Amino acid sequence: MKISGSHMLAVPPERAYQMMQDPDILARAVPGCEALEKTDENEYRMKMKMVLASLSGVFDGKIRIADLNPPSSFRLIVEGSGRPGFIKGDGLLHLAANANGGTEVSYHGDVQVGGTIAAVGQRLLDGTAKILIRKFFERLAACAN
Amino acid sequence: MATTIAGVEKEKLVGKRLRRREDPRLITGTATYVDDIHLEDMQYAAIVRSPHAAARILSIEIAAAQNSPGVIAVFTGKDTEKVGGVPCGASLPGLRVPHHNVLAVGRVYFVGHPVAVVVAKDRYMAQDAADLVEVNYEPLPAVADPEKALAPGAAPVHPEWPDNVAFTFHQDGGDVDKAFAEADVVVKQRITSQRLIPMAMETRGVVAEWHGADRQLNLYTSTQIPHLVRTLVATMLGLDENRVRVITPEVGGGFGSKLNVYAEEALMGWIAQKIQKPVKWIETRRENFLCTIHGRGHVDYYELAAKRDGTILGIKLKIIQDVGAYHQLLTPAIPTLSVLMMPGIYKTQNIRADIVGAFTNCMPTDAYRGAGRPEATHGIERMVDILADELQIDPAEIRLKNFVANDQFPFHTATGLMYDSGNYAAPLKKALDLVDYGKLRQEQADARKQGKWIGIGISTYGEICAIGPSPATPAGGWESATVKIEPSGKVTIMTGACPHGQGEETTFAQIAADELGISVDDVLVVRGDTSIVQYGIGTFGSRGTAIGGTAVYFALQDLKEKIKKFGAVLLESDDVTFSGGNVVCNKTGQSKSLPEVAASAYRAMKLPPNTEPGLVSTRFWEPPNFTFPFGTHIVVSEIDGQTGEVKIRRYVAVDDCGNRINPLIIDGQVHGGIAQGIGQALWEQAVYDDNGQLLSGELTDYAVPRAHMMPWIESEHTTTPSPVNPLGVKGVGEAGTIGCSPAVVNSVVDALSPLGVRHIDMPLTPEKIWHILSKGA
Repeated sequence: MKISGSHMLAVPPERAYQMMQDPDILARAVPGCEALEKTDENEYRMKMKMVLASLSGVFDGKIRIADLNPPSSFRLIVEGSGRPGFIKGDGLLHLAANANGGTEVSYHGDVQVGGTIAAVGQRLLDGTAKILIRKFFERLAACAN
Repeated sequence: MATTIAGVEKEKLVGKRLRRREDPRLITGTATYVDDIHLEDMQYAAIVRSPHAAARILSIEIAAAQNSPGVIAVFTGKDTEKVGGVPCGASLPGLRVPHHNVLAVGRVYFVGHPVAVVVAKDRYMAQDAADLVEVNYEPLPAVADPEKALAPGAAPVHPEWPDNVAFTFHQDGGDVDKAFAEADVVVKQRITSQRLIPMAMETRGVVAEWHGADRQLNLYTSTQIPHLVRTLVATMLGLDENRVRVITPEVGGGFGSKLNVYAEEALMGWIAQKIQKPVKWIETRRENFLCTIHGRGHVDYYELAAKRDGTILGIKLKIIQDVGAYHQLLTPAIPTLSVLMMPGIYKTQNIRADIVGAFTNCMPTDAYRGAGRPEATHGIERMVDILADELQIDPAEIRLKNFVANDQFPFHTATGLMYDSGNYAAPLKKALDLVDYGKLRQEQADARKQGKWIGIGISTYGEICAIGPSPATPAGGWESATVKIEPSGKVTIMTGACPHGQGEETTFAQIAADELGISVDDVLVVRGDTSIVQYGIGTFGSRGTAIGGTAVYFALQDLKEKIKKFGAVLLESDDVTFSGGNVVCNKTGQSKSLPEVAASAYRAMKLPPNTEPGLVSTRFWEPPNFTFPFGTHIVVSEIDGQTGEVKIRRYVAVDDCGNRINPLIIDGQVHGGIAQGIGQALWEQAVYDDNGQLLSGELTDYAVPRAHMMPWIESEHTTTPSPVNPLGVKGVGEAGTIGCSPAVVNSVVDALSPLGVRHIDMPLTPEKIWHILSKGA
């Protein structure tokens, strides 16, 4: 599934970029995040609870950040698996300064799901992904204040 | 001793619309299914299944599951390596059969592939612990589409066969090259028959019980073939066949999906031995979507050669069969049935067929209601309509022109069959009269002027039933019956044709009641226990009555002879007849009732010459041929121009299944068959994404027709008895499905023909039709 979109943050790109690499902030911003720890340079381990229609479960996941190009872009690679199946995502995030001194974050990515989550939740995945991403940026925006 | 005077001839029950005797228990919740079996200290199994369509298993962590409350054992593929592979019963030259372990070893090949099994005190504990099994996978590229699987560079499903070819099959009949060379017109079309999910109301389920002291395994399983399951599971487990008892209680639907031997059947048998306790596994609905065989899965390339007057000269067909990751019991045999059926009921003697079976990272396909014949019927009935359109000939007329004529029976087809009997024009004419065809075409023309999308679809189908003579059937094609007249005169029939909704408890009792001149209430039909029933092949391929019923019939003939002999002794006369349930002395008119005769046969005070005591006969009846039912279905559909929704305005089904034993049950079979045919034509589709993930994995995503979505079915019949069996019956279990889908699709294509539409692949969802309308307008 292809995903793309953009969100506004009220901080300049340098700060936005830094926030999106900060484990403490990420742990607060990622919806359903139950634990997040840095395991290596640009690698994190995360536990995330997700609810999708009649499915719910905790995903154990790895997040990797690559192609770092501060403060304007980086690549996010997510892999998680849990009772409802697995999820894999790969996305490129672009940060651009906007006229109000804030940042527009735009993303393009590909998400793959498997197992029960695909068999049962496929219809809702698109909508759920959008909601989760919106929540993430809303919380990130809250952290910025 | 009382003597009774023989009464008037009892009214015949064969042909009567008797209500099914099995229904009261089925509709009041008092019947016993596998999940109703409860044994002392029984444990529950939950299976860990792969979420990947293709992956290497790097490691499996079971410690957390083992320590979970209530868990008594966790097994993985390493533990079960000695269990024999899941069997493929069909054979073809050059067939590639991958070894199919009951639990995956090293690699998984489809989503749902069993990887580990957790056994616990109750079902919930087992499932909770199964969630704790951590399997570390290395995902590999997968392929889920049969045509993509055969393309160069496709991911290999089984690395040892990088071309993904599971088998090929070729058949030539007549001189197809000459036919195409002499043709005025050749029409070509790619036609698909999409993957379907059989969706029995009762999912699969197994209870296994091991009696160590006797080395005896009792296996309760929801199957169409208890004896074949016994033979094959015994082989997989290395047990003596006579120490495995398969018990099949009530079966809540199969449609071919339980004409199989599954990994879980052997696995539970193996676990019961390991844990020395009974174990139960009941398939969840989600597992049923993923891990019970799918049906259809064809991509067909048709070419039809014809003369300008509509005479069909020859047919070429290339079938690409989506096999899935493995062969289940009959997987490779299914498309060969399509080839046998490819000429339909038309007399062309020139055919060429090629099948390529393609491995994909999906659940295997296998027999689903009609099994190969719906695909072929859909193809030929679509092609005949396309030809009619090309030549601007009425679709009814072109069919009449090409039918095998009544004086050509028995008719030898180009595919090697011998059609037993037929009168193909009769149901077509009857159906045309029922819809008032001429007037209907006029109404259609008028409706078009008002901007309405009305279509008329005709399907004149034939099918291969009563499967089948043993040389044509992988496990033997006969069926058995034991008829036992008890000392009280009550009659017990033990049939090997284990039913799962076919109503044999009623139809077989009707046959016996007529033959013996007794009431159906005096007859008990027993099935589904390998320790009670002699042996049997099972119920599939519309064979229950035509073969199993015939075995009952012949056993009854043996008993009638013996009854006469014992009656003659009692009446002290050589000149007796047996009728109306009494043996009557033709000289004196004195008679003895069946209970009196039966009692004397067991008491055995005085035996007739060369006669053993008792009244039991067992027959294994081998049919000399298949039977070939046929019929016409006509659909009148209307398309909503705004939404693309197809509404079936009229459904007329005229079916000829030979002699009719219970027309009420036949109507039920036809209705159910049509429901599944309409399901395929309009709504149902098993969808895998490019990575082999099943997307239609729940009833919210897989559109099985509900009762309110069904049209009113106007069901009629013609009767052309079969000469193949003495009952003159042909079989009707699959007729509705086989005749249906082309009638529906032909009607929709007819409705959209003003837009130049010539073919639409199933399912004809509103979205698909809406797009066609949008483009056309």
